[in-house]
Amino acid sequence: MKLKSLKITAIMIFLSLAVSAQDWIVPDDQKNVANPLPYNLENVKKGKELFLKNCKSCHGDPGKNNVLPLVPPPVDITSEKMQKNTEGEIFYKITHGRGAMPQFGATISDDDRWRIVNYIQNFNPARQPMLVNAPATKAKLLASVNEQEKKVEIFAEYLAADGYIKLPNAEITISAKKNFGNIEIGKVRTGENGRAIFTIPETLIGDEEGYVNIVVALDETFIADVVTLDKAKVGQLKQVQKLIRPGVLWSTNENIQIWLLISYICVTGAAWLTIGYVAFQLFRIKKSSKTESSNIS
Amino acid sequence: MNKIESPAESRKMLDKIMTDLTRSITKKDELTRFWFFILIMFIIVGVWGWIIQIKTGLGVTGMRDYVSWGMYIANFVFFVAVSLIGFLISSALALLKISWAKPISRVAEQVAIAAVALAGIIIVMDMGRPDRFLNVFLHGRFASPIIWDVTVVTTYLTISVLLFYLPLIPDLALMRDHMADKLPKWKIKLYTILALGWKGNPEQYKIIYHSMRILMLLIIPVGLSIHTVTSWLFASTLRSGWDTTILGPYFVAGAFVAGTAAVIIVMFVYRVRYRLKDYFEDLHFDYMGKLLVFVCLVYLYFNINEYLVPGYKMKLGEGIHLRELFVGNYSVMFWFVQLTGLVLPIVLLLFRYFRKPFPIMVISFVVLVASWLKRYIIVIPTLEHPFLPVQNVPDHFKHYSPTSTEIMITIFSFVSAMLIITILAKLFPVITMWEYAEEKGIDKKYFSEKP
Ligand code: HEC
Repeated sequence: MKLKSLKITAIMIFLSLAVSAQDWIVPDDQKNVANPLPYNLENVKKGKELFLKNCKSCHGDPGKNNVLPLVPPPVDITSEKMQKNTEGEIFYKITHGRGAMPQFGATISDDDRWRIVNYIQNFNPARQPMLVNAPATKAKLLASVNEQEKKVEIFAEYLAADGYIKLPNAEITISAKKNFGNIEIGKVRTGENGRAIFTIPETLIGDEEGYVNIVVALDETFIADVVTLDKAKVGQLKQVQKLIRPGVLWSTNENIQIWLLISYICVTGAAWLTIGYVAFQLFRIKKSSKTESSNIS
Repeated sequence: MNKIESPAESRKMLDKIMTDLTRSITKKDELTRFWFFILIMFIIVGVWGWIIQIKTGLGVTGMRDYVSWGMYIANFVFFVAVSLIGFLISSALALLKISWAKPISRVAEQVAIAAVALAGIIIVMDMGRPDRFLNVFLHGRFASPIIWDVTVVTTYLTISVLLFYLPLIPDLALMRDHMADKLPKWKIKLYTILALGWKGNPEQYKIIYHSMRILMLLIIPVGLSIHTVTSWLFASTLRSGWDTTILGPYFVAGAFVAGTAAVIIVMFVYRVRYRLKDYFEDLHFDYMGKLLVFVCLVYLYFNINEYLVPGYKMKLGEGIHLRELFVGNYSVMFWFVQLTGLVLPIVLLLFRYFRKPFPIMVISFVVLVASWLKRYIIVIPTLEHPFLPVQNVPDHFKHYSPTSTEIMITIFSFVSAMLIITILAKLFPVITMWEYAEEKGIDKKYFSEKP
């Protein structure tokens, strides 16, 4: 088994050395395929999401050059090397991969791959960037859960020149708190009055009694505390499978066999009562030496 | 028993018995100091090892994911086993009215107390977070053999201490009354307190006899449980080598072998060191030798059952385990244990010569070492062969070998047990004086005479 994996590694190293020696040539007809999706905020944003999910682990954060140390290395998407690719080239490379660069043709849809291309284009010096890093504004969120109607009511404010005022048209993410982090259950936008109402989906599963902690957050263009609401009964009951069959001896204290518990208590109790009785005899010895002064009978 | 009539003779005799039997207490020489020095040095080293272990965690031991019970647990089982002798000699034999066992019963109790106390300490030392020890009681599951084990170990320790203490009370009074000039003040003070103002009136003797009898009866089920429950820690799993119904009696029988050997060694040391030839007589060693043969035979019988039956079938997991013992990595240790720990004592001790004090002491020592290794063989090889494949782990996860810290701490436990026995011998007579004197025909009335 060991030998086999050694062999594979050897072949991989050989291959990667071999390919790195040459440039990544994209067939001419592919090179100039035009991007069918328009370069706009929506597509770039979606592309960013996809990039964070699928590519960041190797290519790192844009502009930070914190790529994974592979041979040949993945490139930072803001780098010149990346940006001198045409859109068609990038699309082709994502689709087919090479060496350590996976092929995404089968896992990410054509449209989504083009969206990623759009996102990479955001860092192209020849383009007007769609995502600008405006300084984040301070904001505040107020939220409460309406248990009867299964709705989350939200009010958002942001810090303007003269104090906090209502924040219209901001995207708010609603999640449910789980044991290992939050799971997103939906998004809403605030209206003109800074308010938003989110209807909790019927399918949300709570704990054994249906309780859920709803978490409300603004996107990262705002500096605002994430609001974690108190437990509310807005989810379905979690079906907990009883893993221990009734009738087994090894069990938790909740479903211990009653006869076992009684036996334990009786046996231990009897032993310690007897010990207690003997200890009491020691007192009798002591008492007897006080009351009687006789030497011997 | 033949009554000694003349008061003068009685007094003289009692005096001699007291001088002899308190020699362990009065004797103070270089050797004693040296012995304490050695013990305490080793204990300091062991405690230092433990501090390292607490600071760094159980990673300093050889225990890893697969072998998570190592030398400590083997050692724990060994000490629980040794402690069982207290129940055999001072209760079972006494209830059967086997009189030769009487002078030995205090030695047996000393060994039992030291062993069971250490068993408790070792368990704490095996814990990665000993500060969470109380959680065993706070969050214990009543369905878990571990809780049963903790319960029964504490109960057994308490009963053993009481069984040691009760027949000691008249002795304490004797020393309080007769030895004020020979012993330091604090000792006399200790005896006075512990003697509970003993007067030696018939009512008090009656209470002692009565309580002793109750304890002797009580310790039989408790004694059997302590090692049976310890065996259930193993037997209630599905692991090859542990998953057998015979494990309870198997452990108990093995315990008697280990305990008898330990008592013989301690008896021999007392006999030589405190010149007690007339008390631990050749006859006692002879009988203990026969007892050892007997318990070894029982244990041999269980061993044959334990290995032959699964060995005949060689079920997949069991077969891997057994092959490892018979011809594999553990074969040298396994056959050493079976031969020197079982076959050898049975064969040799059949000859009268080997039941003489010195030879039987040497044999007992070998048996005791083999008993310890036997526990190692019971605990570790099984853990090295889990049912699920062992994959993608470093090599030292696959095979267990104890680290120096573990060995240091294990040595600590032996030395501590010896220290407890030594302290008991330095504080209290090693044979019950009043019982012995009575056996020799001295009337009880002379005990309570003030000099
Ligand atoms: C497993 C790590 C890994 C992941 C995940 C990954 N890449 Fe790559 N990528 C690489 C490596 C390594 C190279 C360099 C390959 C070479 O030059 O042979 C590379 C190269 C590229 C190139 C070509 C750059 C050039 O030099 O022309 C593009 C474009 C690219 N990746 C885009 C993406 C996109 C988009 C994603 C996500 C959908 C992604 N990569 C995910 C490792 C990865």
